[in-house]
Amino acid sequence: MNFTGSIMLVDDEAHIRKFISLLLRHLGISRIYEAPNGSEAIELFKKVRPDLVMLDVNMPVMDGLETLKALKEVDENCVVVMLTSLANRQTIDTAVNLGAANYIRKDAPPEEIGRALAETIDSCFEDAEPGEEPK
Amino acid sequence: MDDVTEPPTIDLKGRRILAVDDDRINLRIIGGILRHEGYEIAEASSGEQALEVYAAFKPNLVLLDVMMPGIDGFTTCRTLKKTYGDKCAPVIFVTAKSEADDVVMGFDAGGVDYLAKPFRPKEVVARIRTHLSNQQLVEQQKDLVAQLSKANLAKDRFLGMCAHDLRNPLSSIRGLAELMDEDAIGVLTGEQKEIIRTIHAASQSMLQLVNELLDVATIEAGHLKLNKAATSIAELVERSVHLSRMEAAKKSTRIEMVRTEKDPIVEVDRDKMKQVVDNLISNAVKYSPKGSVITVIVHSDADAAGFAVRDNGPGIPDNERHKLFKDYGRLSSIPTGGEKSTGLGLAICRKIVEAHNGTIGYSNIGGSGAEFFVSLPLPK
Repeated sequence: MNFTGSIMLVDDEAHIRKFISLLLRHLGISRIYEAPNGSEAIELFKKVRPDLVMLDVNMPVMDGLETLKALKEVDENCVVVMLTSLANRQTIDTAVNLGAANYIRKDAPPEEIGRALAETIDSCFEDAEPGEEPK
Repeated sequence: MDDVTEPPTIDLKGRRILAVDDDRINLRIIGGILRHEGYEIAEASSGEQALEVYAAFKPNLVLLDVMMPGIDGFTTCRTLKKTYGDKCAPVIFVTAKSEADDVVMGFDAGGVDYLAKPFRPKEVVARIRTHLSNQQLVEQQKDLVAQLSKANLAKDRFLGMCAHDLRNPLSSIRGLAELMDEDAIGVLTGEQKEIIRTIHAASQSMLQLVNELLDVATIEAGHLKLNKAATSIAELVERSVHLSRMEAAKKSTRIEMVRTEKDPIVEVDRDKMKQVVDNLISNAVKYSPKGSVITVIVHSDADAAGFAVRDNGPGIPDNERHKLFKDYGRLSSIPTGGEKSTGLGLAICRKIVEAHNGTIGYSNIGGSGAEFFVSLPLPK
């Protein structure tokens, strides 16, 4: 994948963060930020301004949808991909209405997650690759 | 299930009967017969009194005289039915012989049976026993249904917990193992590779088991919701073929796709139908000898379209074909690469395909393999 931007990964489960971040590194993405909950995610987002956010739906205290709303308030153009396990159509529709770019099943094998992520990146960053030096 | 507790045998002793008659002698006769049988009896000498006694006594059965001063038997019965609805005890009318109209009106008013005066004790006892047994069976059945729905709810909740608390960690373990196998954290030694592949295979089969159990639970609970969208069968199949090639390559099995010039479009739930394609292809890989060729064919005709998966495996023995597509219908065939099987995959496929009004089937191809096919109606 020739995505040179940064990604912020938000999930309350450490093993998921470990898995997805290793996958991202394996795909050649080096700037990865992690947050274990919604409120830390918002703080971190303000500080590092990642190009893309991968956001878990099911989190205690502040769930993915609330976090998504808050992120969109900080930056309405931020690219957010929801991470779900069992795809719940209603939740996904709500997330898309709130401005999520896509959703990815985190229980899928690495190859499928990679492909879904690549599709999102292709469709969201058609014109200019973020973080890329202008040619 | 083989060991469900048997319902208790029917014991009618102590069941409560309300006898209503304005004739004291009749009441005494019938009371005598019934007490002798071990029933508990309450008496009322008018319709009005019957309504009062009913409320306090809560009988299991009512013997109701038709002709009474004040409100008659029919009116009393209608009032009882109206007040207590489904919970109302069965009512048997007591009527003088030869009054055929009474009998009809009695049934209309909600009675379950009638007894003709003068009483023949054996007939009274037999009929009352029949109705009390029926009523008790209905009650027991209601109780059982209530208990079963409770148990089913508990099962669903348990499986829901499995969904979240087992699936996520299992997918992480599987994903991490796969990434390590691809040298994502550095090159592994031969032994390390072997171990990481064992971890991968074990977590993969556990994940599959949990997923299949969950699918069955969801489908059985009637929660299979289809999010249909116009879908190209060829595209759907191609995706699955692409993803299955890696698994197949481990057994040096090739997957070939054959498609017609037509590109049939069907209305399906993509995720669910992909699951069917994945399952049929993965079965073909599982049961084919190493180094064989699996062919996936997309086909269509005037009003249906679908796909078929052919393999070079041993085929399904005729005497086991009835087990295909049934829950836990494991056959004698053994996966050729030591893969695991829950016996649920094809049952889930069948349920998904049927929910789409399609058909799924199987045929042996003349001793050289098996063919599974799915056919879906084309939108009109």
